[in-house]
Amino acid sequence: MNFIRRAWLSLTAKKGRSILLILVTSAIMLFVLAGLLIRNAADTATANAKASVGASLTLSANRSQAFKEMKKSSSSSSRPTLKMSSVKLSDVKKIAKLANVSSYDVTSSTTVNAKSFDAISTSSSSNMPGGSSSNSSGDITVTGVTSTSESSSFDDGTYKITKGRGITSADENTNHVVIESELAKEDNLSVGDTITVKKSSGSGTYKLKIVGIYKASSSSEASSAMPGQSDPSNTIYTSYTFANTIKGSKYANTADSATFTVSNPSKIKSVKSAGNKLINTKKYSLSTDDSNYETVKASMKNIKSFADKIVWLVAIAGTIILALIVILMVRERRHEIGILLSLGESRWKIVAQFFTELVAILIVSLAVAGIGGKFVGNKLAQELQSQETTTSTSMSAPGGQGGSMSGGRPSGGATVTAGKSGGTPGMMGGRQSSSQEQLDVSVTALTMVELGGFGLAIIFLSTMIASFGILRLEPKKVLIE
Amino acid sequence: MLEVKDVGYWYTHQDDSLFEHVNLSFEAGQSYAIVGQSGAGKTTFLSLLAGLDKPKAGQILYDDRNISEIGLTNYRKNDVSIVFQSYNLFTYMSAIDNLLTAMAITGSKHTGDKKYAIDMLHKLGLAHVQMQKNVQKLSGGQQQRVAIARTMACDANLVVADEPTGNLDEDNTIEVVDLFQKIAHEQGKCVIIVTHEAAVAQMCDHTYKLEKHVFSESV
Repeated sequence: MNFIRRAWLSLTAKKGRSILLILVTSAIMLFVLAGLLIRNAADTATANAKASVGASLTLSANRSQAFKEMKKSSSSSSRPTLKMSSVKLSDVKKIAKLANVSSYDVTSSTTVNAKSFDAISTSSSSNMPGGSSSNSSGDITVTGVTSTSESSSFDDGTYKITKGRGITSADENTNHVVIESELAKEDNLSVGDTITVKKSSGSGTYKLKIVGIYKASSSSEASSAMPGQSDPSNTIYTSYTFANTIKGSKYANTADSATFTVSNPSKIKSVKSAGNKLINTKKYSLSTDDSNYETVKASMKNIKSFADKIVWLVAIAGTIILALIVILMVRERRHEIGILLSLGESRWKIVAQFFTELVAILIVSLAVAGIGGKFVGNKLAQELQSQETTTSTSMSAPGGQGGSMSGGRPSGGATVTAGKSGGTPGMMGGRQSSSQEQLDVSVTALTMVELGGFGLAIIFLSTMIASFGILRLEPKKVLIE
Repeated sequence: MLEVKDVGYWYTHQDDSLFEHVNLSFEAGQSYAIVGQSGAGKTTFLSLLAGLDKPKAGQILYDDRNISEIGLTNYRKNDVSIVFQSYNLFTYMSAIDNLLTAMAITGSKHTGDKKYAIDMLHKLGLAHVQMQKNVQKLSGGQQQRVAIARTMACDANLVVADEPTGNLDEDNTIEVVDLFQKIAHEQGKCVIIVTHEAAVAQMCDHTYKLEKHVFSESV
């Protein structure tokens, strides 16, 4: 192991050269580390983004099948009617038990006419056909949910409870409701008051107890554009059981739709396939919405691919730079190599000496890069965190994606959560988790090991390239000629 | 010990050979001088004896074995030690480290024995302070002594020197040649010195002269 001793003597004797090599190698290692950190951060960001975007599965009536049935039964004498089946809660519970289904919400909506109070009337509503504030379809929308906090509009902050509380699963089989603040203000209603509504078709009145008041941030804009019961101010939230009661006894233990949150978006297809086996697919359909998940996946794949390219590009560039330096170093040390050869030293041991010197340089450089990498990591974390936040925000922002769907519901972020408890029946969409995980771009021991591996590979290749000169060197030419 | 049999050497064409059909023998415990004019080919001949190059024709036998069969690297490592005009020391090491390194490479029986290295340098007149200095800080004469000490520290039985006194003044020249004589006579080694200095040649036991492509022994 004399070559190790020689390597040490050479490194300590030629301090200037050693420091220069440490600086160059540190710079290369820092670039490789930055690439590795970007790649790791891209992996983490992808996992975070996938988790935060999520995906959902919606169980609703099979509309296409219903249309086919309608066409079959239609005749010239009678007007065709579209018969949509309500979703059975027993089916919902079966699907909810499937693997990777983390939660579910059911939605049941209907319309009523205000009796003890006045619905908000909009100026545009009278200009629209069938837009009367008091018509056969009712001027108030009753949206039955499992829990308002799980409802998309409340979840994404479009609606906020300002007084009292929201609807919870404890409100099942009660007449508790949450009304909009504009409606409360116009009719001088407050939490604890009781209001009366009557069925929009047929007879029957219902007393509703106000347990909370919510504020619809988009009500002012929406109210001018939406007629009658579509105005957010005319929407009251209650438990889905009470909505079913208003709709009639045949709607007991049913819902317009149920939305299941799939914890692992990549498993959504298998969940759908398993779910289809549990339902009558002629009557019901399971629709998936993992478009946001796929978008995020594709976008993150690009970042990861870019990071991979950076790592390899820097590694290749580093190898070339270091190889050139080692080649120059070997040329400068031809005389020393000649002496070693004249003493009978084997060529591979001379190559091993240079490799050992570079390994020692690499160890110091790794330490330097590790310290520098801490700052690079922090900077990258900040950058990527903001990137991830921007991506999530742009996907959840109202109107950020597509146009509105029928029913006047804002799309974009609302579409992502639509189909949940607050969604229009049959509407589907993915689900967005509100939790934002902290992006960890710190330099870990594993990163350093990986960096060390890259470093070793770089110096090994550089030494091998440079060693061609050593292997061909004739001591006579160096020492005598 | 060393026998040169029908050796010839040329660079491009045999017609332009430096020497041909050379037959010489070198014995242990003797010192030999190879003299000749500049460009005659004496250093090239020495490089063949030192195993730094291969002859174009003929063979060189060391203890009756062709050095090509021994392998030039093995031959240089175990059997021959070379002293150069320009000393050829490791410039980033001290005199002691130079000796220790050479001893380790050649597999000397004293490998790693620092005291032995110091004794060797001491015998050649280097003070303790000088031994620990980087060799570049020593004078030419001192550096050549370190190179000779390196040769003595290795166990090779054959010592070849190329113009070892070329960079030295008269006093140092006499001292260095004296050292080579001691290596030959006291350590029983075979010493072959290439020189253009008649005074150096006169101090050796035998002198071979290379003139007009032919070696002849001078009396």
